[in-house]
Amino acid sequence: MAPELLLLALSVASYAVGALAALIVRGMAGRALVAVGALVGSLATLALGAWCLATGATLAFAAPRLPLTGLALRADGLSAFFLVVVGLGGAAASVYGFGYSAHYDGRYSLRLLGAMFNVLLLSLAIQVLADNALTFLVTWEAMSLSAYLLVLVEHDQHGTVRAANWYLAVTHAGFAALVAAFLVLAGGDMTGSFAAMRSATLPPATRNVVFLLALVGFGTKAGVIPLHVWLPMAHPVAPSHVSALLSGVVIKMGVYGLMRVALDLLGGGPPWWGGVVLGLGAVSALLGVLYALMEHDLKRLLAYHSVENVGIILLGVGAGLMFQSYGLPGLATLGFIAGLYHTLNHACFKGLLFLGAGSVLYATHTRNMEQLGGLISRMPRTAACFLVGAAAISALPPLNGFASEWLVFQTLMGGALVPHPEAAIGMAIAVAMLALTSGLAVACFVKAFGITFLALPRSAEAERAREVPASMQVGMLVLVGMCVALGLTPFLVVPVLSRALAGLGGLPLTPIGFSLSLPFSVSGVTGEMSPLLVGVGVLLLGTLTAVVLRGVADRRLRIGDTWGCGRVGQTPRMEYTATAFAEPLRRVFAELYRPTEDLSIDFHPKSKYFVRSIAYRSEVEPWFERLLYTPLLSALRGAAVRVRQVQAGSLHLYLAYMTIALLALLVVARWSR
Amino acid sequence: MLLFYKILRVGVVTEPLALGEPDVIEVAREVETKARRLLGRAVAIREVDAGSCNGCEIEITSLTGPVYDSERFGIHFVASPRHADLLLVTGPVTRNMEVPLLKTYEATPDPKVVVAVGDCARTCGVFRGSYAVVGSVDAVIPVDVFVSGCPPEPADILRGILTALDRLPQRKG
Repeated sequence: MAPELLLLALSVASYAVGALAALIVRGMAGRALVAVGALVGSLATLALGAWCLATGATLAFAAPRLPLTGLALRADGLSAFFLVVVGLGGAAASVYGFGYSAHYDGRYSLRLLGAMFNVLLLSLAIQVLADNALTFLVTWEAMSLSAYLLVLVEHDQHGTVRAANWYLAVTHAGFAALVAAFLVLAGGDMTGSFAAMRSATLPPATRNVVFLLALVGFGTKAGVIPLHVWLPMAHPVAPSHVSALLSGVVIKMGVYGLMRVALDLLGGGPPWWGGVVLGLGAVSALLGVLYALMEHDLKRLLAYHSVENVGIILLGVGAGLMFQSYGLPGLATLGFIAGLYHTLNHACFKGLLFLGAGSVLYATHTRNMEQLGGLISRMPRTAACFLVGAAAISALPPLNGFASEWLVFQTLMGGALVPHPEAAIGMAIAVAMLALTSGLAVACFVKAFGITFLALPRSAEAERAREVPASMQVGMLVLVGMCVALGLTPFLVVPVLSRALAGLGGLPLTPIGFSLSLPFSVSGVTGEMSPLLVGVGVLLLGTLTAVVLRGVADRRLRIGDTWGCGRVGQTPRMEYTATAFAEPLRRVFAELYRPTEDLSIDFHPKSKYFVRSIAYRSEVEPWFERLLYTPLLSALRGAAVRVRQVQAGSLHLYLAYMTIALLALLVVARWSR
Repeated sequence: MLLFYKILRVGVVTEPLALGEPDVIEVAREVETKARRLLGRAVAIREVDAGSCNGCEIEITSLTGPVYDSERFGIHFVASPRHADLLLVTGPVTRNMEVPLLKTYEATPDPKVVVAVGDCARTCGVFRGSYAVVGSVDAVIPVDVFVSGCPPEPADILRGILTALDRLPQRKG
């Protein structure tokens, strides 16, 4: 048996054991078995992906006789890459989940959590290997439903059920679009292999329809604005290791699907395909980070950052599609590499940040940043891990976010080489939007880290916080290591990715190395630097500072209060808040946010110089809900009321319907002969 | 246009330094050289009003005004004790200002010197025995130099600062 098949069998078996163990074994042993099953399965998935990427091996497996499915699996470079993403995210989340799910014991269903966690990982792994429409759609739905059940684990918490329902509705709207797309693409034969779809020649109009349907379907999963509304609702209420998986891996399936369909099965299309993806990416990136700035719920903030980062990924993918249709394969490959690299990086740092937020939640039982603070001295390891994640997502060198965002910039700068002015200008605008996004992301994570971990604790819960158990720390440390490693070695990662992409959609094998030069069309104008050198430089500077401080400086330490103008009774209420930190930006972007402020002061009846209480409330206008979803939902409700008249509850009426339907069918069958 | 017309019409209105105190400049220059020798830069001063009638504050403010313009000699008033070398304390210490004065003293980095300005800072003046007063400045924090006067003249305050600088530890080498 080939090693690929062995690894696949191992991962499937391991996930299955983990899921079964969750149902049968209780307590600590059950949690351990779930974690081990998911961990071994994820590592096998990771190994399978890495093996295929390293050796160029392809796996092909078909079981057409299996009932219902016509299961067909095949691994190419793209699948192998996403297997690595799934394995990496899954491994860290499963180790972390062992410790994290401890406090669910007796409160929520550990069976549901453990079983669905393994099922989700299994369906993710199979999904990226799917080689026909039916396998793809069945695993897609398995993934969506297991994620839905995982979101529902903390069912009695405020907002959980509503979030899960939104998720279910949006994801099924997307699923409907996907089914339609594959029906059109496969010409009705859902068990036909992807190879047949690749070779099929469809008229341009049909191809456009397939592309748009796929964009909607995969866009709902990826959380592209305006289809993102479920994401900031569902991610915060899910258990934190599940949030990490949802945000790090599950939404990336949208990216995978889009690349699989648009690039591989359809083989690329007219330039406007790429333009649409690019535009959606730019808007998602900018609006995602702008809404994240206004969030004071730590996990919701991270969820909005997922919208932002999916936008950045789509900037790369969209630019790639555009360059491909303009016949610039080198730049196209660079764009897709940028998108894929950022996918992997985002899986690492966003997984890490969600795990860090989960640790904070575990220790303090609150996600509200205004109640946190001072955690750096109480949970120093969590704080250090979160800081690395925050620096990585802010794209600070030498961490991994920098490497991939730089590639995206490089790709978009290449727009100057496109001979069509509208595309070149569009890419230049996208560069500007991406630059603004990066800057705002830094501001947002200064807020997230500063308010959560620094200064004095703002509540008794934060005051009592303790460092989290070892397994949770290990889960975070794995991802910290990956963030650093992927940031320091882009020159190793990029060539592997360019090999993984070769052959997709007729892209030639263009060996691309990582460089920091910009493709200016003016000859002789380049600028270069190496992330490894930057890393070494940072280390050296840090060491130098430490040496100077130790050797030269006066080391007599005095530790005192923060200077507060000498006031008596300095309390955490006087600290800078997250709302105050974001206020300047809220004013700058007031046109977008349309904030409503509500200030009510209760004065003493005798004199207005004495205040009894002040209540301040401020909200940001939810544009998408108001303009897009509320009209849609009310239209849907109106239609449902009308349809209900048909379903009157009378048996006779139903029999009449059936008879009419039968007659109609017979007539149609007669006439279509 | 109106502005230029006004500038032309009004002309120079600043007055020469009063003849009575020609040595003020000398004192200020001495402060400058001493600060440069001891600190290698300007001397940073934090002023604390511990409960004064503001008479002393008016005199201290005039130090930075156009007549004396102490900034040109490297006498620099700062906004936080964290930045200060020297504390300039005025007034009797009131109950409300006792803890803040102590906190300010603690927040000032070592080495530091304290100059208590005015008679109240030394003896509580007319406020002695008031229920609102804790005592003189040296009852709360250690004082290096007292500047007497009600209020003392800017030149006296400058001399006090000069004397206080002598109490800073000498730089090595």
